[in-house]
Amino acid sequence: MNDASANGSPLLDVEGVVKRFGGIRAVNGATLSVREGGITALIGPNGAGKTTLFNVLTGFYKGDQGSVTFRGEEILGEPSYEIAQKGMVRTFQITKALAAMPVIDNMMLAAPDQPGELLRNVIFRPRASKEREVEVRKQALELLGLFNLRDLADAYAGTLSGGQRKLLELARALMAEPKLLLLDEPMAGINPTLGRRLLDYLQGLRRELGVTVLFIEHDMEVVMNHSDRVIVMAEGRVIADGEPHEVRKDQRVIDAYLGDVAGEPTAVAEPDE
Amino acid sequence: MTLLAVSLDAITNINFWISVGVIAGTYAVVALGLQLNTGFTGIVNFGQAAFMAIGAYTMAILVLKAGFSFWLSLPCAVLVTMLFGVVIGLPSLRLRADYFAIVTIALAEVVRLFAQNARGLTGGNEGLFCATDDPSNCYTNAWRDLSDHINNFVSNFWGDPDSLFPLLLVIWATVGISIFLLRRLQRTPWGRVLRAIREDEDAALALGKHTLVYKLQSLAISACLGAIAGFFLALNLATVHPLDFEPLVTFFAYSVLILGGLGSYRGVAVGAALFWFVLEGTRFIDLPDPPFTETRIAALRLAITGLLLIGLMAFRPQGLFGKREEMVLGE
Repeated sequence: MNDASANGSPLLDVEGVVKRFGGIRAVNGATLSVREGGITALIGPNGAGKTTLFNVLTGFYKGDQGSVTFRGEEILGEPSYEIAQKGMVRTFQITKALAAMPVIDNMMLAAPDQPGELLRNVIFRPRASKEREVEVRKQALELLGLFNLRDLADAYAGTLSGGQRKLLELARALMAEPKLLLLDEPMAGINPTLGRRLLDYLQGLRRELGVTVLFIEHDMEVVMNHSDRVIVMAEGRVIADGEPHEVRKDQRVIDAYLGDVAGEPTAVAEPDE
Repeated sequence: MTLLAVSLDAITNINFWISVGVIAGTYAVVALGLQLNTGFTGIVNFGQAAFMAIGAYTMAILVLKAGFSFWLSLPCAVLVTMLFGVVIGLPSLRLRADYFAIVTIALAEVVRLFAQNARGLTGGNEGLFCATDDPSNCYTNAWRDLSDHINNFVSNFWGDPDSLFPLLLVIWATVGISIFLLRRLQRTPWGRVLRAIREDEDAALALGKHTLVYKLQSLAISACLGAIAGFFLALNLATVHPLDFEPLVTFFAYSVLILGGLGSYRGVAVGAALFWFVLEGTRFIDLPDPPFTETRIAALRLAITGLLLIGLMAFRPQGLFGKREEMVLGE
């Protein structure tokens, strides 16, 4: 565990990012970095600015100040599709399955470098997409197999259960061949068994595909057992950053959780163990 | 029982139904563009009448005022209309779908009112028709020649074909070719991105798709179809007049779309034929004059068409060819 975080070069560097909504600073000078090859958890009480930070990083919100360097390139303020093309791919807290499209189309859509997605190629080189389509379909079916969704490939995504949609969204994000995967509460709203399986997938992905993962989570237990590093946010800032066992003892983290959210029993129980 | 009789000799009048077929085909072309926008890209375009107007007016102005040949004016007018669609779409397609709908309906009215008032260019409320001083300079002449050729050929099989018959052929051939091409487009990876935008634009953005470009392309293709429908309207009526491009045109086209079903190009063709069959067929309902005066029957026809739509929505909300699953899941 130590090796991964110590040897990896920084993939994502966030410096003093600020995002204001009127008078409210939802993200108030957040600074953090994510090293290549690890699984990093981003935790914090409700309203800490975790999702807002995700939205700024991925270009869905325009950040007001600061700098975001991804793979050595400044990306703050770039449009979301360009950031995704550069290899930072996100999922959403509320799953965005493309409901009236078949599962397989959800997957194939995400694959990069499909010449048939350009209208001029469709018109002037109608055969250009064929080869890539075959390749992408094969890859999509393999990934669906990994997530136990292969039998549902031709079903409409909207007919899937909530948990299956979460898996589909993760699988779809992987089809985009990300360097950094940003997952916004991947375990929310799915049953614990499926949640654990999803975490196992993540561990496997890191090993096999070398994908770096940054994920938002509420459940401290999950975070402690499945991440190499934990970044804690409160009130728009990063208040702690380190290995799980360090962070759980950090007084500021305990205060942030105890002070803000009384109804987070896992967080409260942790420090005494 | 003579209360609700139908006059049979009128209803079997083939020339009447040919003219209905011409209108229905024109609306099918209009609604195919709406299908691409609303049914497959999720952008609610209420400005299709504006594209028809710009196509028709550009064609007529190029022929009558700039001395273009009719055949050259057609591609030029299509290009102008598509360019107009892109220019309008660039700021407005960044809006949310419902605001975009409002912008486009306003746009359609602006275009129509401009045509009504820019008399020097568009002839204002007189419309644009053949120059009275020079009958040789008219956009319908070149078409008339071709039309006569077609009818000469057709008269080998059919004694005395209607003068609108060639237009009917050309329009429905256009509908057929457009459906073929649009269906092929829809099956490409490009079409897949459009559907993703319809389902959830943010998801498409997060997967690296430059959604604005796709929406602009969708709108431009729809503008192209609108312009072509504008040509058909101009050839059918032999004039280009602002009142032919009222918002009602777009709403009728939407009725066609809903009747045929969202997400089906073939449904548009069937919907157009059915809509105009009912709307025009109800002309022949014979009711005793008092109390059923002509104006009352005219209103009654619209009411019957409306009832048909309501009935369809109740029993088959996805339209004739729409997929129910897609409609239910799409929400």
